[in-house]
Amino acid sequence: MNVTITEEGAKALVKLEGRLDTTNADQFMKDITPLMNGTHEEIDVDCTDMEYTSSQGLRMFLMLQKNVSARRAKLVLRNMKPHVKEVFDITGFSHIINIV
Amino acid sequence: MPLHSQSIARRLSRYVLLISAGMLLFTTILMGIFGRRAIIRITTEVAEKEVDLVAGNIDMLISEVELAVGNVDWFVQRGGMREQFMYDATRELVMSNPSIIGSAVAFEPYYFQGRRWFAPYSYIEKQTGEMHTIQMGNADYDYPTMDWYRVPKLFDRPVWSEPYFDEGGGSRRMATYSLPLKDTTGTFFGILTSDISLEGMSNRLKRITPYWDSYAVLVSARGTYIVHPDSSMVLKHSIFDTVSQMSDTTALTIAQNMLNSKKGSVRFHGNRNEDYFGVYRPISNGWSILLVNSYDSVFHYLSIFNVIMAIMAILGLIGLYVGCRNVIRRQMMPIVEFTQVSMTMAKGNFKARLPEVKRGEELQKLRDSMAFMQQSIREYIAELKTTTASNERYESELTIARDIQMSMLPQNFPNHPGCDLYAMVQPAKEVGGDLYDFIDVGDRVFFLVGDVSGKGVPAALFMAITRAAFRFIGALGLPINEVVRRVNDCLCDGNTNEMFVTLFAGCLNTSTGVMEFCNAGHNPIVIVAPDGSASFLRAKPNLAAGLFERFPYEAEQIRLEHGSRLIVYTDGVTEAERADKTQFGEQALLDWARKMNPSVSAKASTLDLYARVRHFTGDAEQNDDITIMSILLK
Repeated sequence: MNVTITEEGAKALVKLEGRLDTTNADQFMKDITPLMNGTHEEIDVDCTDMEYTSSQGLRMFLMLQKNVSARRAKLVLRNMKPHVKEVFDITGFSHIINIV
Repeated sequence: MPLHSQSIARRLSRYVLLISAGMLLFTTILMGIFGRRAIIRITTEVAEKEVDLVAGNIDMLISEVELAVGNVDWFVQRGGMREQFMYDATRELVMSNPSIIGSAVAFEPYYFQGRRWFAPYSYIEKQTGEMHTIQMGNADYDYPTMDWYRVPKLFDRPVWSEPYFDEGGGSRRMATYSLPLKDTTGTFFGILTSDISLEGMSNRLKRITPYWDSYAVLVSARGTYIVHPDSSMVLKHSIFDTVSQMSDTTALTIAQNMLNSKKGSVRFHGNRNEDYFGVYRPISNGWSILLVNSYDSVFHYLSIFNVIMAIMAILGLIGLYVGCRNVIRRQMMPIVEFTQVSMTMAKGNFKARLPEVKRGEELQKLRDSMAFMQQSIREYIAELKTTTASNERYESELTIARDIQMSMLPQNFPNHPGCDLYAMVQPAKEVGGDLYDFIDVGDRVFFLVGDVSGKGVPAALFMAITRAAFRFIGALGLPINEVVRRVNDCLCDGNTNEMFVTLFAGCLNTSTGVMEFCNAGHNPIVIVAPDGSASFLRAKPNLAAGLFERFPYEAEQIRLEHGSRLIVYTDGVTEAERADKTQFGEQALLDWARKMNPSVSAKASTLDLYARVRHFTGDAEQNDDITIMSILLK
């Protein structure tokens, strides 16, 4: 799992690469903590190179989503691979997280 | 153990020995080079001094003869031309000079009292030692035609003759000094001669023997041997006969220098490449002495000295080696003892007494560090015991937790007339977040399979809440979506950690085959028709439970044929991973379902699927909890 965060004005661009599972979910949490404490109006996550997410990973997205919603900002997940998107669909997370 | 110290002692001693031998060899070579040079210089000086001494002696002898003859010359001129005086003069000359063995005054023809020949001659007879005086000039001995007379007359100066063997009265090897006689007007009137024996020369030269094979030669102004160790060479050969046979041209140079009355010390080689050095000195009368020494004899003593040195060096080195080894071995004794203590410690006795060290800072340090190590190990072991105890307690608590969790999952499967149900959970760790449950309410069976996000103790606690909620709410007999709604509300209450659980909840009417179900973000279940065809039940996903309170979960409904089978599972099945990270996948699940014997029992199909998944993952560590529930509608 590799997380790269760049900033573009009020927008945070996050690039996810690799697998997000139980073994690195904590690290992912640490990586995105600055975003949770930040004031970005939009968090744009590029999931092009994301290979897998476990339920623990979904939890991380959920926490991020709740954090973003609480401060009326936006979270967008982009270019998700079909088999990853499927996990979001099955669990119903597609309803609560904006995936485009 | 002592073997080790011995080998170190031997090795160190060997190093010391090698270094000492090397240094000894180096100094020996240096000594050899400088010693050789010094010896060459000293021996040359010694030889030069001896030759100088003998040359001086011979010079003195020659001067005495020349002086004596000069004095007689004076008497002859002033003595008047009396016959007896002339005889007496020759006798006086021989008698008063031990080195002179014969003397003559030979007058020019008709000069002395008108005589054709007048040459009084006194000589000492070799055999008797008696002196005889004769007049030697006559028709048979026409001396004015002879070299000893003509040459000084011609050159108008005193001349030493070449050495010769006198077959007259002397009968011996001799050389003659001839002085031209002149009257007050400067007119030449005769020759005054003195003979010296060369036998005496040879005795003098024999005494120059600085080295055991040294020898000296005396050569005349023309190079003829006057003295030579080989007496057959004397008078018959010249030094040029010798040097012309030698390959080293230095010898020729020596001979030329000698004839030119030069002095020198030169090294040269014999024909068999023997190493010689020659010292030559001129004599005032044109003769020359050459002393020849062979370096072999000079260095003979050096060689003996070297052999003695070498023997002493070898003895010294052996002594050094033995001494070193013993000293080192004695010094190593504490290390041997330390080794023994180490062995004792290796066997588990960390209280072994360390050897006392009397001296040696390094050994004292070793002892200190070993003592420190003993202390550290003892402390570490004590700490390890505590840690192990707490780990054991933790593990035993986890084992108990697992037992409690497993006992939450019903193990007594209903012997229901309308359906056959079996389920299993295999957690990835001691405790897991997967769960299943079922409630038999007459001809309706409520069942549930869930998967809590994450793993381990947090997931297990959330699983316990979920299972308790379902057990309580499910028993109320509410519509299935209402059951899920209430379970969700229950889970959302106080869920600050954003934990969630995906659920598949169903209510199967075993008599009608109608199944109401609600999918809360769970994997699609598999339905196997009685003919063996299998497919996923694509249900509305709703949302995983525990996330949003009062989420409006919706129920769906399907009618199953009798003989149909439901396979409900968690993603631990489809996402089971091999070592190469490939997953079991939904397709493999469908393939398995299609190949299954449709009439096989729920338990058999459950265990078969589990076995298939474990076969797929092989040795890879189980990465997620696996739950399988199989329901066969009779």
